[in-house]
Amino acid sequence: MSSKNVFLLVLLAGFLAALLVTGLIVDGPAGAMRGFAALQVQPGRLINDFFHVVGIGGTLINAALAGAVALVLILLNKVQLSGPTYAAVFTIVGFGLFGKTPVNIIPIIFGVYLASLAAKKKFQEYIIIALFGTALGPIVSFIVFESGLTGAAAVITGIVGGTFTGFLLPAIAVSMLHMHQGYNLYNLGLSCGFLALFAASLIRAAGHSFAVSMLWYTDPSPVLIWMIPILSLILIISGLISGGKKVFQELLEIQKISGRLPSDFMDMSSTASSLINSGLIGLAGSIYVFAVGGDFNGPVIGGLLTIMGFGAFGTHLKNSWPVVLGIIISTLVFGQELSAPGPILAALFGTTLAPLAGQFGIFTGILAGFIHLFMVLQTGAWQGGINLYNNGFAGGLTATLLVAVIQWVRSTKDDF
Amino acid sequence: MKRKDLILHLLGEISSYILEENPRRMVVSLHQEKDGLHLSFMDDNDHSDDELVRLKKLLNSPKRPELAGYYGAMTGHDMLGSTHLDLLGWQVKHADVSRIDKGIKIDLWLGGERFQSEHFTIPNKS
Repeated sequence: MSSKNVFLLVLLAGFLAALLVTGLIVDGPAGAMRGFAALQVQPGRLINDFFHVVGIGGTLINAALAGAVALVLILLNKVQLSGPTYAAVFTIVGFGLFGKTPVNIIPIIFGVYLASLAAKKKFQEYIIIALFGTALGPIVSFIVFESGLTGAAAVITGIVGGTFTGFLLPAIAVSMLHMHQGYNLYNLGLSCGFLALFAASLIRAAGHSFAVSMLWYTDPSPVLIWMIPILSLILIISGLISGGKKVFQELLEIQKISGRLPSDFMDMSSTASSLINSGLIGLAGSIYVFAVGGDFNGPVIGGLLTIMGFGAFGTHLKNSWPVVLGIIISTLVFGQELSAPGPILAALFGTTLAPLAGQFGIFTGILAGFIHLFMVLQTGAWQGGINLYNNGFAGGLTATLLVAVIQWVRSTKDDF
Repeated sequence: MKRKDLILHLLGEISSYILEENPRRMVVSLHQEKDGLHLSFMDDNDHSDDELVRLKKLLNSPKRPELAGYYGAMTGHDMLGSTHLDLLGWQVKHADVSRIDKGIKIDLWLGGERFQSEHFTIPNKS
């Protein structure tokens, strides 16, 4: 294992351990474990803020263990720890605060594994799809706990349903990449959203409905408020110490990259500068949440962790701000509150569209953000909240629209 | 991926890179064996030494199966933005970039698990 891999492994394992220990301290070991156990039988559809459901301790343990599943999978398959895998671990931990559990993500991963066998490929070639595909974990939870099935029938149907869903993901994920050409960072969000449309329609056709779920934790807690700023500072300091003098130059180089998939900043620049970039994004996101008076809860911290993860795989301050500005403008134009759940999550996760600003400029970025806001406020209902990466879904649709128009405009300019 | 599809994707990606500079001539040659293939591209564009170094580095990127198996599917599908030569680098067995009379020659060797390098004229790595 290379020194870079060891360094990242220590960093990620330390982060997961810190979450685990904090969870045990905050609610006490017994209370935290009770909360964790309760989450395994909790529907995880959007938006189920696990802090609201079982409190802080059990939720942090759930997030840490979901992240540990991802990290172990990466290590077992001898996949390099770098931009995409760093992003995947951060994202899974983030969504472990509001939807993913170690139990509901495993059938999806197993399904992708079966698809790799069917395609006669090594699982490591599909591991990114398996990790991000866990966005559909709530399908498993829905079938087992909300569909009306009971006992062994519910469990078996849930496992089979999740596995089948995972099996379909590689085929869909690759096709979706071609639609937006890598300009939607959360491609699995679009892929899972596409698949969730069919799943939700099937479930509705079978006579079930998706009860609106909006569990949103609002109690101010110092642990939750300071979690991301402290983590961000640790990443920045780690980067500064390990990066040497050239790290500032490398950080500037990152800001020049469009961010289009796949942009592994750890390869294209360096691990140290990527960690600093990740930390800066975490700080900027936290400042935004403070500034608009948002709640530091499961979904918001999940969003912050996700954008920090993608700070090593496509997102940086220079390509993000136009998209966020577009979302802010759209929020105000349509009379929404910046601190309301939809807009605040859009402002964080909407940076999935950052490569559009990075490649085509500020105006395109602002336009993408503007469109994204009113799309994302609708797409969650379309797919019954069973795709956790709803912003990735809306972002994918937005990117596809803009890419199609830009492509058409360019094609009209004849050279002959 | 089917061999024909792979070749078409590679042709698309490298051709897109070369055509970006609007060459007067571009020549493509293909040599196929049972378990591998050699693709060669020649152009008459001007290329700096720095560009050659960068090209060699991108085309000989360390193997990243986790990225090649997923994002590699984007190879040759580029309609907008700059080319992604690192996508190629993750997939090829070996790549070489050399100067010719006018322009450069890009050689790519690809193959499966049973790729036999002796069937091809791969230069020794010095």
